[in-house]
Amino acid sequence: MRIYLSGGAKNGKSMFAQEIAKKLSSEGHLWYLATMEPKDDEDDARVIRHRKERAGWGFKTAEWGRNIALHCGETDCKGTYLVDSVTALLSNEMFCGMSGDINKSAPEKVANELLDFSEIAENVVFVSDNIFCDAAFYDEWTDSYRAGLAFVDRKIAEKCDVVAEFSCGQIIFYKGAELI
Amino acid sequence: MELIIGGAFQGKTAFAKENFRISDDEIFICNKDSAPEFDKKCISHIERFSFWCVEHGIEPADYFFEHVENIGEKIIISDDISCGVVPINKTERAWREANGRLLIKLSKEAEHVERIFCGLSQRLK
Repeated sequence: MRIYLSGGAKNGKSMFAQEIAKKLSSEGHLWYLATMEPKDDEDDARVIRHRKERAGWGFKTAEWGRNIALHCGETDCKGTYLVDSVTALLSNEMFCGMSGDINKSAPEKVANELLDFSEIAENVVFVSDNIFCDAAFYDEWTDSYRAGLAFVDRKIAEKCDVVAEFSCGQIIFYKGAELI
Repeated sequence: MELIIGGAFQGKTAFAKENFRISDDEIFICNKDSAPEFDKKCISHIERFSFWCVEHGIEPADYFFEHVENIGEKIIISDDISCGVVPINKTERAWREANGRLLIKLSKEAEHVERIFCGLSQRLK
């Protein structure tokens, strides 16, 4: 089963993702695939908070911030994976190095690697973010990231069994509601 | 009239092309720097038209309904710009609200309203 969840910040998608991943998993094969690469104290604090929130759920944590394809095989790919988040993974791949350059091929790479990975894994729950509904004109740098994330969202959502958006803790299904 | 809304880059134009069999030639893409031309079947990025209106002291909904002929046959596409932080810039604040007023009127007139998310559609009306 492949599930794609998105929505604005603090709308309940992560908690739902944890619950559904746990429900789908078999004993001992539940993975939390953490994609954020902590860069400062604030990030470190967030990692600690998230670990506490997952404590006791039975997740094993894999920290794969980029190059998902290279990491396959480090875990039992037959397990159930919660990928949190697509947003951070793309950011790492797109803005690597200190030069400020954008890796424009990153969205396609991320989409392909995640899709290949999801073919191998038994279940994957993807968490992404809806950053597309505000009234602003962005610089080219930011807008290419928004376009890139939307590209990854659409590529993966097309292949997923379940696609849903979260709003105020409520779930809005775009497909696959009957599977959950 | 068909109204298609959704966040930026979500696949709204692809949805319109696929479901209403329109080509690129039949789509007018609005521009925030110039007056629109409403003769084509599909009018895309209507939110940019709203911005042009606000900058010229025009209410987009008034202008739209005064200048568009054959409204019933049109396919209108708008980015959803309603969910971010209140813009710090006064014009952008007015723009967000004016576009919202326009979309409410358009959705009342529309036969169908579709919201596109990750390339998938949800019928709101």
